[in-house]
Amino acid sequence: MRLKLHRPSGLIGRIFAILLLTILVEFGVSTLLYERASQFSVRDDEARRLAEHLVIARKLLAEQPQARRPGLAMELTTSRYEVRWMPVLPPGLQTQPELDRIYAQVMLWEPALATTDLRLRLTSQGRHALIVGAVSLPDSSWLYFRTREQVHQADLGPSRILLALAPALALILISGVLVRRMLLPMRRLAEAADRFGTGGIQDVAEEGPKELRRVIGAFNRMQARIQRLIADRTQALAAVGHDMRTPLARLRLRADAISDPDVHAAVETDITEMEAMISSLLAFLGGEGDKETPTRVDLAVLCATIADDNADHGRDVEYDGPDHFEHVVRPLMLKRALNNLVDNAVHYAGQCCIRLVPVSGAVAIRVEDHGPGIPEEDLQRVMQPFVRLDDARSRDTVGFGLGLSIVASAAEAEGGAFRLANREGGGLCAEILLPCDVATA
Amino acid sequence: MYAGEPPLTLPTIVLVEDDPQLRTLTARALQENGYTVRPASSAPEMWLALEQGPVDLVLLDVMLPGTSGIDLCRAIRQKSSVPIIFISAKGSETDRVVGLELGADDYLPKPFGTRELVARVRAVLRRGAGERDTAERPKGEISFDGWTVNLPRRELLSPTGAVVDLTGAEFDLLVTLCDHSGRVISRERLIELSRTRLGDSSDRSIDVLVSRLRRKLSDAGHAAPIVTVRGIGYTLNVPVTRS
Repeated sequence: MRLKLHRPSGLIGRIFAILLLTILVEFGVSTLLYERASQFSVRDDEARRLAEHLVIARKLLAEQPQARRPGLAMELTTSRYEVRWMPVLPPGLQTQPELDRIYAQVMLWEPALATTDLRLRLTSQGRHALIVGAVSLPDSSWLYFRTREQVHQADLGPSRILLALAPALALILISGVLVRRMLLPMRRLAEAADRFGTGGIQDVAEEGPKELRRVIGAFNRMQARIQRLIADRTQALAAVGHDMRTPLARLRLRADAISDPDVHAAVETDITEMEAMISSLLAFLGGEGDKETPTRVDLAVLCATIADDNADHGRDVEYDGPDHFEHVVRPLMLKRALNNLVDNAVHYAGQCCIRLVPVSGAVAIRVEDHGPGIPEEDLQRVMQPFVRLDDARSRDTVGFGLGLSIVASAAEAEGGAFRLANREGGGLCAEILLPCDVATA
Repeated sequence: MYAGEPPLTLPTIVLVEDDPQLRTLTARALQENGYTVRPASSAPEMWLALEQGPVDLVLLDVMLPGTSGIDLCRAIRQKSSVPIIFISAKGSETDRVVGLELGADDYLPKPFGTRELVARVRAVLRRGAGERDTAERPKGEISFDGWTVNLPRRELLSPTGAVVDLTGAEFDLLVTLCDHSGRVISRERLIELSRTRLGDSSDRSIDVLVSRLRRKLSDAGHAAPIVTVRGIGYTLNVPVTRS
């Protein structure tokens, strides 16, 4: 095809094009199939019987005057052929498909019929294919006949059914493929929407029909707007956080002038708490501006050092695991996460143990305590940001309730998972599972 | 030969802080502890203050409006080797490391109290005094037995290049052992050194620190190179190189 077709750009245009195409194909195929009717043939003995019957019937009818011909035709009707006499050619015979092959078969047996303007057509009655036809008499009236039983076609059977089914199947296939192709960008859009919020944003390629391109364009712009909005808010909050540290520093220096040691200690505790809240908020928002790069660290020593640091400050924290285990992580983020878990455990249980357990394909860092644990129904909820289990009035914990959210996002950043579970026999087990490939193990 | 002894004149500190009240409060806290303070609210004022006379220390807020504290730190370093302490409201580790690598001597996060402020100033001044006299204390790296100690970053790297995390006290002990490599250092001296470490309120003994350090420095069937000399103390028995 040298003609260059303009692909319709709109969704409606495309669906129309697909419909048009299928209709064209259907039309072409059924025309072909009709044409092929002329190629039908019958068994030789049937063609011969038909030929003989026609010759005899024509001869008998032609010998009788016209008035007696209908009656004779009735008599000539057998269980196999229905015969009628008609003064003119019945109209139905013009439209049915011709049967060239059968015509030739008949002619082969009775060449005399060649002068009789024999017409043969295929018609169907219910599920049966029947042959109808006519021959002219010398006085230009017509002998009309039809077979009363289904003709035995030589090539009747599964192949013909298949032939009839083929275009339908092809059409379903073609239109399915085309519609699928057309809606492919839609699927990419859905995937991008699912991805949004779980990592970096990625523009979806603006492809496909006009309407889809508009939707994708709008989605891309919305994505960028949301991203900018989040970035702006985060930046603003981070700036507020940083700025709050200056008045806090003033307050702390002023507090040093308080002579009453109890009041001084209380003010100092308040300032420490406020500073902890700002730090956790900034860590949660990623507002410290640090995009930590993954570094190769000795994970076992990292855990041991956290335990040692806590032990040095009089807390009952132990490390249990191998002496060395190297792994690539973001160490500051992971340390903050582990410190949050240790702080929680020490707060609620008074003690804890950090365990490093290499498991298949991963390494688990577990912070286990013998405390009261967490009610099963709250295990998921407690990982949400700003959720705290102790109600506001009896609150004695420091912070916003961001600790576990920070742990969860630290684990996520490493492609790992964070899980809380109550231990058998009491206590809580907080587990950070970090994937490791064979190379880093 | 005056190493470790306080200088005879009052140390002078240039304080660069843009918040007027915090500047006043910080200056007062320092003055009450026996330091002369020359306050400055911006970079130009700081340069003026530095020209007014000898300065022993610069306390520099890195978040000055209009100037990057990092750039300012670099500019001071090009002209002088005066000790610098960074003050920052950002808890950012990158800022801290970049500042220390550019030649700042210490880092003080906001909000700080009088005690912490004075302890850091004192520690840096003492270190600075020692440095000027002996001109020996290096700024870079110490290597031994495949291990690398990065002093500005306060970081230990294993022979395979992994970061090995140590507590502050453990790191200081390791640096002390490296400084005295090949010589035996007595337990009493180590205890004394560890007491002077600022903000140190922990109660673990030197022996606990040494055994922890040994475990963290062990290397697949290869014992850490810290040897106990019975009745005297400890020694690091491998060659140490500095760069």
